[in-house]
Parts: sequence; C-alpha cells; structure tokens
Amino acid sequence: MKTTVLTKDAIQELLLDFLCQQFLVEKEDIELDKSLVDTGIIDSMGLIEISAYLQREYEIKITEEKMNRNNFGSVVKIVDFILREKDIN
Amino acid sequence: MHNSVKRCTHCVLSENFPRIEFDEKGVCNFCREELFHSTEKSYIEEATVAISEMLNKEKGQSEYDAIVCYSGGKDSTLTLKLAVEKYKLKVLSFTLENGFTSPEANKNIERVVSALGVDHITFRPSKKFMRDLYKVSSIYEIYNKKTLTRISANCNSCISIVNNTALKYALEKNVPFILSGFTLGQIPLNAIYYTTNYAFLKESRKNTMDKLTALLGDDVDKYMGINDKIIEGVKKYPVNINILCLESYTEKEIIDEILPLGWVPPKDVDGCSSNCRINAFNNYVHERKYGYSPYELELSHLIRKNLLSREEALSKLLDQPMDQIKYAMQDLKIDESQLQKFNS
Repeated sequence: MKTTVLTKDAIQELLLDFLCQQFLVEKEDIELDKSLVDTGIIDSMGLIEISAYLQREYEIKITEEKMNRNNFGSVVKIVDFILREKDIN
Repeated sequence: MHNSVKRCTHCVLSENFPRIEFDEKGVCNFCREELFHSTEKSYIEEATVAISEMLNKEKGQSEYDAIVCYSGGKDSTLTLKLAVEKYKLKVLSFTLENGFTSPEANKNIERVVSALGVDHITFRPSKKFMRDLYKVSSIYEIYNKKTLTRISANCNSCISIVNNTALKYALEKNVPFILSGFTLGQIPLNAIYYTTNYAFLKESRKNTMDKLTALLGDDVDKYMGINDKIIEGVKKYPVNINILCLESYTEKEIIDEILPLGWVPPKDVDGCSSNCRINAFNNYVHERKYGYSPYELELSHLIRKNLLSREEALSKLLDQPMDQIKYAMQDLKIDESQLQKFNS
C-alpha cells in the first residue's frame, strides 16, 4: 500500500488526483456526490480502472459483488467504501 | 489531419488533445510525466504472473479455454498465435464481420485460423443495422467525450458488439477467458486483465443505450445490450485478458511473427488499421469533432516505449486515404453537410 496517511480528506484528494490524471479532467469538473458515469467523467472501462486503482493503492480486493452503485456511485461513495474496507472511522 | 498542426516534439500528441501542455522545448506534459512514471513495468510484471497463474488454473476445464476476439488485423493475429503457441490454450476464434472488413483481411482470417488449427466462428450482424449504427455514431454525440480520447465513436460501437457477443459465447460455453488484441495505449494499464460486474456495467451504459435505442430501435438491445436472461444466475464471469500488453513487439516484429501464418498486409486500409475499411472515415469524423486523431494516444505510447519512431507514427496518422473516406460516406449515405456542425 502506497498511502501512508489514511484520513478521509487524504484519500479523497488522492482519488481526485487519480481521476484527473487518468480521465483527463479538471478537479472542478468532478461533482463529488454525483455519479462519475452519469456526469460523463468515466465510462464502463473507467469503473474497471478505478477498481484496479483501489486494489493497487489500498489492497482492497474488489469482487464483482462489490462493484456496484452503492460503492462506486460517486467520489463520496468511493471514499466511504475505502474507509469501510480499511475499517477506518 | 493536416501536417501543420502543432504536436509534441517527442510524441505525436497534438495541441487539441485534452489537458495537453507543451514546455519551452515543445515536449508535452504526457511525455514529461512518463519519464517519471515507474509503475508500468512493475504492473506488467505482476500482471504476467497473475495471468499465468489464472490460465494454468483454468486450462482444460471447459470445451474451450478462451475465446479470442479476432479481427484479422495484425495485433489480434499475434494474440491468436500467442494464445495457441505460447500459452497452449484451446481457443475459439471469434470474428465480428462488421461489413467493412477488407477482403484481404477476410482471407487472412481464413489462412491464419487454418494454419493454427483452431475452431472459428464469425458473427455478421445485419448490414442495415451496422450501417445505421455507424451513421448515428458519426453524426450524433452518443458516447461521452472521455471515452473517445482513445477510440473513435464508430470503433467504440463496433467493439461494444464484439464484447457483448464474446461474453454471450463465453457464458453459453462456460469459457473462462476472453482474449482481445488491445495494446497499452489503446487501453489503460489497469485493463490488462479484468472482470466486471455486468449488472453494474449495464446500469452504467444506460444513457448510451437509451440514446442509441431512441435512434435505432430495439435492435440495439439485441446486438449491444447486456440481457438480464444472459447474466441472471451467472456465478462466475469470464476474465478479459489482453495478452499483447505483456509483450514488447515492434510493428516489424509483429509482422515477422505472423507472415509465416499466411498473413498478408491489406492495401485497402488506412495507416492506422490492418483490417478495416471504414477506419479512415472514423478517424476523419473524430478529427472534425475533436481536432485530434483517436490514434494519437496509442502511437505516442509506442514512441515512448521505443517500439515506433515518431516519423513512423506521423506517417500512419497522415495516411488517411480520401478514397476510403469517400467510399465509407457513400456506403453510409452520409454527406459533408451532416458533418459540417463539427467544424471548429
């Protein structure tokens, strides 16, 4: 795991950096509580990229069942998912 | 695309590519970041081990070990060869005939599957549907802009059908792997191998599917939809693998590998394709819409990996024969006025 400081803010910032670099968008384009798919930031392949990022960065094993709207529906939901998986309050 | 467009002096990304910035030497930020990018090698090494373990574990458990999506182009030809000869897989080769395959590419498919001794299946959707699909993908904004940094809209439409059909075959025949011939640059690093939740994928594609259905009717679901009946009760989905991403072949080395199988370079395609006669038109539309070629990212990646020279890449980008563009426009019954709105 590369991330040493697992605070909610740090995780969100790293995720936003990843999204901007990977999907060629600016941070201000990303609405934190909106679906990344619905807002056109990512497509279906993007979901795979994000899940691979979480596996690599946080060593979270993403099963097919976990790849759902509740966990991947927005930046806020992805951050919450990471916190749940890493058991961080 | 005109040769006069400003491009990175190291790769071929042009000034209209999203988020591009040039330094005082004319080198783009993507090249500069690449110099400090050390994760790719280790990621590929990890993927090589993981893929090898997966293949060894599942090999011999089903009628076929893998479905190989085979377009007849050079990359998927090498993928098929590697699947059979290097990985020793029992494969079902699958071709989607989109109605625009070069006649020479069709002969290549015939020669190569015969030489490798593999089973082969071709699916040809109705010509009318494919024409209509390409026409609306060209004229309307069907896909989100981010999707189209690496691929033209028409290629994306076609590949959706390829992926869907391959998934159907894999689930019907209980095949554990689907192999495609994508290389890094065409796909992101994370997509060397992956499985996905198709229910969520279906939900994610809803906007696109709704747009296409409004324009083309229910056939969209037939050819491109993820049918509930197909995914209902599926316990294990096939793993998608792009084995070519684990290799480092130059184009010449690829050709040298596949020539002995009887593969012949088609002469009626553009510089960026080795099988498809609509590709030049797809690139033409993409460049009019967005101001850059959908192949810039892939070719630039190959340049950074020393697998292609900048001159070779430029030559490919500029080899977009007007007669092929006109042929496609006539076939699809698209005229310039329908593309005028994309002029910047």
